[in-house]
Amino acid sequence: MRKLLVDWFEDRTGLNGRLRALRDEPLPAGPRWGYVCGSALLAILLIQAFTGLMMMTAYSASSSTAWGSVFYIEKQMWMGWFIRGLHHFGAQTVMVLLLVHLLQVLFTAAYRAPREVNWWLGLALMTLILAFSHTGYQLPWDQKGYWATKVVTNIMGGAPVLGPYVKTVVVGGSEYGNQTVTRFYGLHVGILPVLLAVCLGAHLALRYRHGLKAPANPTPPPEGAPSTYHPDQTFRNSLAVAAILGVMVGLVFWEGGAPLDAPADPSSSDYPARPEWFFRFLFQMLKLFPGRLEWVGSIAIPGALMTTLALLPLLDKVLPSKPLHFLVCSTVFALAGGAGYLTLESFREDMASTQFQEAREKADKSTERALFLASHPDFGVPPEGSSYLMRLDPLTRGAELLDKTCLGCHRLGGEGTGEQSAPDLKDFGSYAWIRGLLEKPDADAYFGKSPECDGMTEWKQNSKLDAKQLDQVAEFVASFASIPADQTVDEWLNTPGVVDHPGNELFQKDCGTCHLIDGYTEGGLRDAPDLFAWGSPRWMKRMIRKPGEAALYGYLEEKQRMPAAAPEDLNESDLSMIVRYIKGDYLKPEAPAAPRP
Amino acid sequence: MNRRDFHRLGTKALGALVKLTVALPAAAFLLNPLRKASPAGADAPVFEGLVPLSQLKVGVPQSFGVVRDQVDAWVKYPKEPAGSVWLVRQPDGAEPPVIAYSAECPHLGCAINLAGDAKSFICPCHTSAFALDGTPQNHVPPRPMDRLDVELSDDADPEVRVRFQRFRTLAEEKIPLA
Repeated sequence: MRKLLVDWFEDRTGLNGRLRALRDEPLPAGPRWGYVCGSALLAILLIQAFTGLMMMTAYSASSSTAWGSVFYIEKQMWMGWFIRGLHHFGAQTVMVLLLVHLLQVLFTAAYRAPREVNWWLGLALMTLILAFSHTGYQLPWDQKGYWATKVVTNIMGGAPVLGPYVKTVVVGGSEYGNQTVTRFYGLHVGILPVLLAVCLGAHLALRYRHGLKAPANPTPPPEGAPSTYHPDQTFRNSLAVAAILGVMVGLVFWEGGAPLDAPADPSSSDYPARPEWFFRFLFQMLKLFPGRLEWVGSIAIPGALMTTLALLPLLDKVLPSKPLHFLVCSTVFALAGGAGYLTLESFREDMASTQFQEAREKADKSTERALFLASHPDFGVPPEGSSYLMRLDPLTRGAELLDKTCLGCHRLGGEGTGEQSAPDLKDFGSYAWIRGLLEKPDADAYFGKSPECDGMTEWKQNSKLDAKQLDQVAEFVASFASIPADQTVDEWLNTPGVVDHPGNELFQKDCGTCHLIDGYTEGGLRDAPDLFAWGSPRWMKRMIRKPGEAALYGYLEEKQRMPAAAPEDLNESDLSMIVRYIKGDYLKPEAPAAPRP
Repeated sequence: MNRRDFHRLGTKALGALVKLTVALPAAAFLLNPLRKASPAGADAPVFEGLVPLSQLKVGVPQSFGVVRDQVDAWVKYPKEPAGSVWLVRQPDGAEPPVIAYSAECPHLGCAINLAGDAKSFICPCHTSAFALDGTPQNHVPPRPMDRLDVELSDDADPEVRVRFQRFRTLAEEKIPLA
């Protein structure tokens, strides 16, 4: 019955016979390790296609979802890290095998007649694989992919005449965004695979038409039965593929998957973008060209090289074959040496640059933070998209904003960016801060650098409070920071523990004479800000929005006051990021939430 | 075993090794949804407050949307619609005071609506019909409407709180989905 079916299928398709013909291809000179490379390349390409298909079931192509979905693949899905890791290291393996395959064909002069067309197909395949590498690199839409894409597409844009148009079409506009991701994705998983399949099919068909190139000085065939492709060559192929895959798996375990940087942030100013190692020589070479002539390094030289390689089988007809082959091989050797040198030079330069090290360290820290936030059950990737992951994190966003907008005048733990003319904000609103102020109001950390705010200093000169009383007042004032946003003064006074606080009376007597709190203290002796809810988010937000309010620092002259931050310049979310950062109200890795059951 | 037999065997074994190295993790990857309790996965269902008891009329079914924090793969959505329920207040003194039904039809998951006369429930897809007490009125639904756990808060006008859950469709028993 089985034979009947097989015979019927064979009669209608002839498939088995054709496959058997391929398997039984005679190898008069025996199997060779030299034949392994092309097959290994094919096998790894198949692994790339397969792992790529797997990830297509989980990846989401848009600038707001790409990073989140890749994060989900890498960190949350079963074996996601392994599949993505294989794809990542597979891509690099393909590059290595590609180079070896190319050099092998070059050195054995297999580009000569009758294999010219297959040589060209090989060059086309190489170009396609480079395109795969570039388009895949940016799909996670992380910092690395974002900046690398920017560089590569700008190289395209630098080409004479058509460059800018080509770049706009590839990027999908002048800005990098959703259209960039969908276009690169479409190229990576649709257009390029189809082109690759066509070229690869033709490449293989021609390989069977012309057969494997016999070695120049064949070793005597092994004794016993004559060798055929299967199983004698396929055994070597399998051995090589298994070994290569073993190395890839080792790298995946070593790296724990594939790298994923923090989500793309077009506003970061110091991301040290570097291409994959196999493009490092080009990267380094571009430093040697003045910007105006950049296209010479990035387009003209590689283009000339490719053209020369493509013309090789034709030159072979015109020029003396052997000297040409020698010339080409030695040129390629020289170029490979040069590329190797540039690659090493690039890594060496980075190793020696403290600026690079610092930027890399900062990028690594932000990567770590992003992964921490995304996997935290109380945080996660926000619905607005992965670029909001960091923008909604007080530790990242708050620190950044504070640095940019506040630390020109203020200090944070003594650190600042301009000449100090305002208090230190470290622990602002806490017991420590207020206790320090009561001890020495004219210290640099308090009002020492803002002589117009000398009220506290004047009070200190006349105050008779002893250390214990100062402790009590500080404790009382520090409790203001936890007054809820919607509480009135009356409600607050009726809260247990306020009126009977040991600091209450002292505050009313010593502080209340200047600091007016409507319905609680009189004020009036000197101008001073309203301290109700001082140090709480509501007070701090009010202070940032309207420092010139009568109840705050309205009594100061305009130029002495802190500049107000209008909602146009600082939106509500960012305002809250600053306040929460100062108050230390953000997720900390030391105290992760209890794991879910 | 001669050289060629060894090669044949080696090719098979190594080929299988290579294929399994890729295929087994890929299978796990594809089967990921079967995994229970992912680290940032779906929350265990909790009670959601829907409406004060006083706003429900005895014996009159009213529908309410359930809105809750949800984790959808990598995205965490705060307060996102998750489904809807029918609440039927029972006469005073009855236990429980309110019955909650999932509006998801046990047949194939369409949203069950109230029939035109407000005396029964009907599913707009395949005409599953249910009485107000949830019992099937024709042969289409495999089981009665799915009752959900209800609790009342301690307020003076207690709030009706419901634990929203989904159940496997087409099954004759109520099997909660993980």
